Amino acid sequence: MNQDAGTIRQESTTRSLSIPRILQLFGAMLLGGTIVYAAGFVNADAVHNAAHDTRHAEGFPCH
Amino acid sequence: MLFRNIVFYALLAGVVAGIAVSVAQSFQVVPIIKAAEAYERAAADETQVLIPSVQAAQHHAAGGEEAWAPKDGIERTAFTALSNSLTAIGFALLLIGAMMASLALGSGEAAMRRWWYGLAWGLGGYVVFWLAPAIGQPPEIPLQAAGALGARQSWWVLAVVCTAAGLAGLLFGRSPWRWAAPVLLIVPHLVGAPHPEGVMFPDQTPQAAAALELLARQFIGATAIANAVLWLALGLVSAWSVRRIHGAIGSGLTGQRDPEPFST
Repeated sequence: MNQDAGTIRQESTTRSLSIPRILQLFGAMLLGGTIVYAAGFVNADAVHNAAHDTRHAEGFPCH
Repeated sequence: MLFRNIVFYALLAGVVAGIAVSVAQSFQVVPIIKAAEAYERAAADETQVLIPSVQAAQHHAAGGEEAWAPKDGIERTAFTALSNSLTAIGFALLLIGAMMASLALGSGEAAMRRWWYGLAWGLGGYVVFWLAPAIGQPPEIPLQAAGALGARQSWWVLAVVCTAAGLAGLLFGRSPWRWAAPVLLIVPHLVGAPHPEGVMFPDQTPQAAAALELLARQFIGATAIANAVLWLALGLVSAWSVRRIHGAIGSGLTGQRDPEPFST
């Protein structure tokens, strides 16, 4: 455990920027929402056709 | 790095759940979609002038040219598995993010170690992303009449956001107002999902319409099962992931940055 923490600390010395964790969490969830939107909602024909069966199966409005 | 940890584990959870749900869908869900599409093709063959619903269903571009679509068979199966996994990765990012947020709020560090932790979060995801929208807008098969797409998509988002906020407020809220949160659960259903007027399968012969209505009913049950598999897998792998992340870097959020450089 201590060794783990040490490893992480050492790694972070090589980074010049540290982003508050709350923003990191928000960023991860925003990315998730964007991916779900792209797969389930984007109307472009090619995207629709590729994800067609997923949209029907997971109850996204389709057509 | 909280972001990197969440993304890494969400990729893992999404791929596992994507494979699981693809297998689950292959038993009933996909065969029902294909059966409905057989009626779609039959209707298109019979009519020289395309009737509106068929036209909409086939997604002709304005110029009358067919848009790209994966070929039936292995290509279509592969694209469905891919989009299933992609969607599951998106859901996993939201789920693991919500789980980490609940830990940071101080709720659930004890719950995190219980056997039902993953099942409970999986159930939450199932209710938010499948059950609540499905109550107003049951999953549809191809050819089924439906309201305007934009309105149905807006209602889907409303149902998901209200249900998520209602459950989160009730379970994690600290003030007495938490008991008002469940009101949010019924708001989308009071607003009401947009529904089309008239019959479920317009432009079909009575026999075809009856067969399609049966398929539509079976489809609701089939998707209920397949999506339960999806959220079971997502919940279990996400719970394991959250324990790993918590063990490695902790789960505090406020005022914390990643371990300070030069702090030792």
